[in-house]
Amino acid sequence: MMRFAQWLHRWVGLVMLIQVVLWVVSGFYFSTQGHHAMSGHQYKVNPTGLVIRHTMPEVGIDEVWQRYPRALSIKLYRVADEPQYRIELASERVYLHGDTGQPWHTNAEQAKQLAVATYDGPGSVNSVVPITETNELVDWHGQGYQVLFDDDLNTRVYVDAANGQVIDHRNTPWLIADWAFKLHFMDYSGARSFNHLLIYTAALLALWFTLSGALLLVQNLRRGDFNPRRKPTLLESLQHQNKPIASGCGGGGTCGLCKVKITEPTTVTTAESHLLTATELSAGIRLACQHRDHGQIVTLLNDQVRDFELTLVGKYEHSEAITEMVFDSAPVCDYQAGQFMQFKIPTANSGALFRHYSFATKPGGNQQLHFLVRRVPGTKEFPRAGVGSSYLLSLQVGDSVNAFGPFGDFVATDSSETSREQIYIAGGVGIAPIHALVANEHARQRHLFHGARTEEELIFADDFRADASLHYYPVIDKFVHEEVATWLEQNPGDYDFYVCGPPAMLAATLQLLADKKIPKSRIRYDDFGI
Amino acid sequence: MTIAAGQAKQSSSKWRVWHRWLSLIFGVQMVIWSISGAYMVFFELSFIHGNHLVQSTPQELPNATSVRSVQDVIDAYPRAREVTLQSAFVDGEWVAVYKIFAHRQTFLVNAQTLHTVEFNEADIRANAERLYAPSKPAPIASVLLLTQNAPSEISPSLLPIWQVNFDDFGSSSFYMSPITGELITKRHDFWRGFDIFWMLHIMDYETREDITNWLLRSFILGTGLLSITGIVLLVFTIGRSRRKGAQS
Repeated sequence: MMRFAQWLHRWVGLVMLIQVVLWVVSGFYFSTQGHHAMSGHQYKVNPTGLVIRHTMPEVGIDEVWQRYPRALSIKLYRVADEPQYRIELASERVYLHGDTGQPWHTNAEQAKQLAVATYDGPGSVNSVVPITETNELVDWHGQGYQVLFDDDLNTRVYVDAANGQVIDHRNTPWLIADWAFKLHFMDYSGARSFNHLLIYTAALLALWFTLSGALLLVQNLRRGDFNPRRKPTLLESLQHQNKPIASGCGGGGTCGLCKVKITEPTTVTTAESHLLTATELSAGIRLACQHRDHGQIVTLLNDQVRDFELTLVGKYEHSEAITEMVFDSAPVCDYQAGQFMQFKIPTANSGALFRHYSFATKPGGNQQLHFLVRRVPGTKEFPRAGVGSSYLLSLQVGDSVNAFGPFGDFVATDSSETSREQIYIAGGVGIAPIHALVANEHARQRHLFHGARTEEELIFADDFRADASLHYYPVIDKFVHEEVATWLEQNPGDYDFYVCGPPAMLAATLQLLADKKIPKSRIRYDDFGI
Repeated sequence: MTIAAGQAKQSSSKWRVWHRWLSLIFGVQMVIWSISGAYMVFFELSFIHGNHLVQSTPQELPNATSVRSVQDVIDAYPRAREVTLQSAFVDGEWVAVYKIFAHRQTFLVNAQTLHTVEFNEADIRANAERLYAPSKPAPIASVLLLTQNAPSEISPSLLPIWQVNFDDFGSSSFYMSPITGELITKRHDFWRGFDIFWMLHIMDYETREDITNWLLRSFILGTGLLSITGIVLLVFTIGRSRRKGAQS
């Protein structure tokens, strides 16, 4: 219902956009001008003193009645200094001169005098133009005159030649108002009619537009969106912090672009159940606009994030503990070097756990994805410690697994922005994202410090040694950060640092870099590489 | 996408918050405008004016009567500006009368005697029945001469006036002049509804005719702001759909 209201409000809004603006603008014009200013009657007065006794007609009223025995009424009055009879018949009106009994005719000079008699503005007559019709008098046509005055409002007075009546005054403000009426009533015939098919349609659409809006407003009220002390939504917080979060609808819950990963258990809203897949929902993916920010941990996703089905195509044991697993992905996974995937690990009670593994090779080579898996033996205290690795390692070629991603901002700095030399510091399976980053870096000088417990655990060492332009520093059974410290003392300079490895190694290395006063913007690290 | 657009995008939820707050204040009036506007649009203006309640019965001047000359009328009423020979339905018959407009007043005199013609309740009732179009006999519920207080549906300047109330669909009322016996104006429930919706449309709840009041002006300006925020949100949405389309 609410989604329909939102859809309706948006599409009708699009269709009605221009007309709503026209209603607002023309309405404001009416409200600033007022009736009188728009009437064209700024300089109009009614002539006074036209008593009949000064111009008694030569032809008596009984004579007129004899000529028109079927008259409904016969009216006698003055037009300027002459008497006029108006005979009302069932189908027409006849105007006679009271002295001659002949049909009335007003000439241009008389029309000018009659116009002046109804005018009290500052101007004088500029010209008298004979007309038979005009856009400014919708229902009038016949013989007549337009009497133009040279005043500030461009007043023109219309006089009917058949009866000498001043039909009306018109001027520039009237013309503007007439356009405002045309726009407001959507009636471009000039008749100022507001009963026609076009405006029926517009009125119906406008009703749908405002009523759906009101419905949405009620929903906002019930959701507490107007509570002045409400917490901002995650979307608002992220936008406020200038984080790169996509949003098409600005928090309406309709575009489904502001996907984030929320670690803590979070309810699923109606919008989310429409816009997110079941896999996404079970992976903790939510829409940032749908939840309030109360300090929960939120991970940003980018546009490519989605779920993949990965089929195992190969397993290579690098060492007793570390196995490289190769999967085919469907569809092709478009990732950046340094990012990771989240693997869905089924559990015994039909639930699922998620484990993170970094891409171990640079993207784009082929459709195959490489990951390093370290065998973690489970213990009595932490029975789940090895669940992910033992599940993955139990897979056979041809088996498939669901994964979700890619995630992560452990990616290379922009080589078009900086040409600093790159220093990579890796320990254990932390070499996986580093391997991808090293292989993907083409422009800048590279130094790799690679720590491992044994020579055989120096995964990818052959690749690194074969790379002639890479400065490779393997570190066996020593603290890798100490090697880095020594090297930095001998080679002071401005570098970008990438650090990935076990928690202790990571902490020690970051501490070293902090001691060396390396700006935080120069350091990128990933602590998922264990 | 340019950098500037990217930055605008970053504030899209701010636009939505503004859109919500403005709609809380001005959106309600927009609903009222659309409902009142739709009412005024859907009912034909001539129906609202009650033209369907009145039948046109062209009445020729009564035959075989010799009328007094205009000179006699002018002698009696030297300030006359308009003199009209017409017919009037008085005491159950059509008589020739002069309607005279003099000294800002209009009145009738018998065209043969030049005596003033007056309309009593029976004459008013007879004329109302004669003019009432929907049915014969007209279902007249009451005939009242209003002299002191005008009901809100007519201008006090029309007083004194006869109010003829019909017991019909729409509770029609004819307002007839006690001086000329003519139908001055007519009202029915759809006119009354129109009047209320007009009041709501122009937000003048007192006189129902001042379209220049500041309440109306400020709500129009507020609605303008609301429209701008809505258009911006709409542009975001359209821009989003286009990007999606380009990807697929």
